Amino acid sequence: MIGIVAVSHSRALAEATVHLALQMGGDQPPAVRVAAGGPDDDLGTDAVAIAAAIDEADSGDGVLVLMDLGSAILSAETAVEFVTAPERVRLSPAPFVEGLVAAVVTAAGGADLAAVAAECATAGEAKRRQLGDGASTVPDAAPPASADDTAGDSLSFEAVVSNPSGLHARPAATFVKAASRFGAEVRIADLDTGSAEVSGHSLLALMALGVRQGSRVRVSASGPQARQALDELRALIDDGFGER
Amino acid sequence: MSDAVSTDDLVAWIRAFRDAVHAHKDELTRLDSEIGDADHGSNMARGLDAVVAKLDPVPATASDLFKTVGMTLVSSVGGASGPLYGTLFLRMGPPLAGDGEADAAALGAALRAGVEGVVARGKAELGDKTMIDALSPALDAWDAAVADGPAAAARAAADAAARGRDATEPLVARKGRASYLGERSAGHIDPGATSATLLLEALRDTLAGAE
Repeated sequence: MIGIVAVSHSRALAEATVHLALQMGGDQPPAVRVAAGGPDDDLGTDAVAIAAAIDEADSGDGVLVLMDLGSAILSAETAVEFVTAPERVRLSPAPFVEGLVAAVVTAAGGADLAAVAAECATAGEAKRRQLGDGASTVPDAAPPASADDTAGDSLSFEAVVSNPSGLHARPAATFVKAASRFGAEVRIADLDTGSAEVSGHSLLALMALGVRQGSRVRVSASGPQARQALDELRALIDDGFGER
Repeated sequence: MSDAVSTDDLVAWIRAFRDAVHAHKDELTRLDSEIGDADHGSNMARGLDAVVAKLDPVPATASDLFKTVGMTLVSSVGGASGPLYGTLFLRMGPPLAGDGEADAAALGAALRAGVEGVVARGKAELGDKTMIDALSPALDAWDAAVADGPAAAARAAADAAARGRDATEPLVARKGRASYLGERSAGHIDPGATSATLLLEALRDTLAGAE
């Protein structure tokens, strides 16, 4: 599993953000290290401390680094010169909070460094879409849905989401982690809004879908473990993701 | 005078830079309070105190010296000046590896490598109202005076840096914290260009003493 490093001017800010992200990281979250605050426990950043945190978080699968602003970015870039395996380090342009949440959830699902970095790169989208910026794009939107039970090796089911707030962050994270445990390509569409299918492996795409309580969704899967993935996801939706 | 700059001269330069930053600490902080976050003087003073604490025993070679200075600055300044000045010194070391002493051309080449490192790190260009506005003309002045030896080259570079520093006053900042102010950043001298000028004036004064 990849590791994650949170770089901030403020230790309090970084630790609170990591706490928030780990709430959605499940039972086996990725290694997350904080490199925050400057000398004298004041606001600031320290490239040597960032490099040490990156080395600590790297199990061999690589590390994604999330930063707040200004010197955090310069110090992280400098730190990459000091780490053991710079080729396994990516600095994410994502906003700090959204990026950390997306990174933790996607990494917990077993995605590799490139996939987690790609997921985080679109981390600002869900908020933009929620606030009604028409120019936004949903990550990983699929071509018009054509799959059904009989099309190729794709299986699907329909179900009604009962969670009071719909597929909000926590159930969406649970969905993504479950979907990512199987050898299957999972997709989901909101039938009430007539949305295009989006990837069931992308927390941000799922949150951008904005599925509300009472909405009917169609979940489809293809691949060797499609059946197992759908059984698990149907059980989760029917159970209200444990929120009832 | 000597045409060669020894490692001891370079150590004396770093100490002189630290002393100059302390002497101008309040001025640097005041400049930074006008267009930044009011910590440039205290951050640089703290970082250079940590550097000087590591100069005993004196590093054996110029490249060891600059590696120590750079690594200490990236770790103990705190603000953006840490990675920027840190990178300047980290890049100066490798060109000086090998020989015990550097002539004016070798020291100029090392300075150029350092400044190119700062440009690559900070993505600033001439006229962005940053330390580059002092450092870049200083390099050109150094090269123009290189045949006259290191003391003369440093004198020319320090003068050019001071002119570059003063020329930042009317500029609108395009990098760093000051860029958030937009047009309001005009009318103030840039604190980074001011500390960079102190760096070259410290080199001028150190090499003049050896003359």
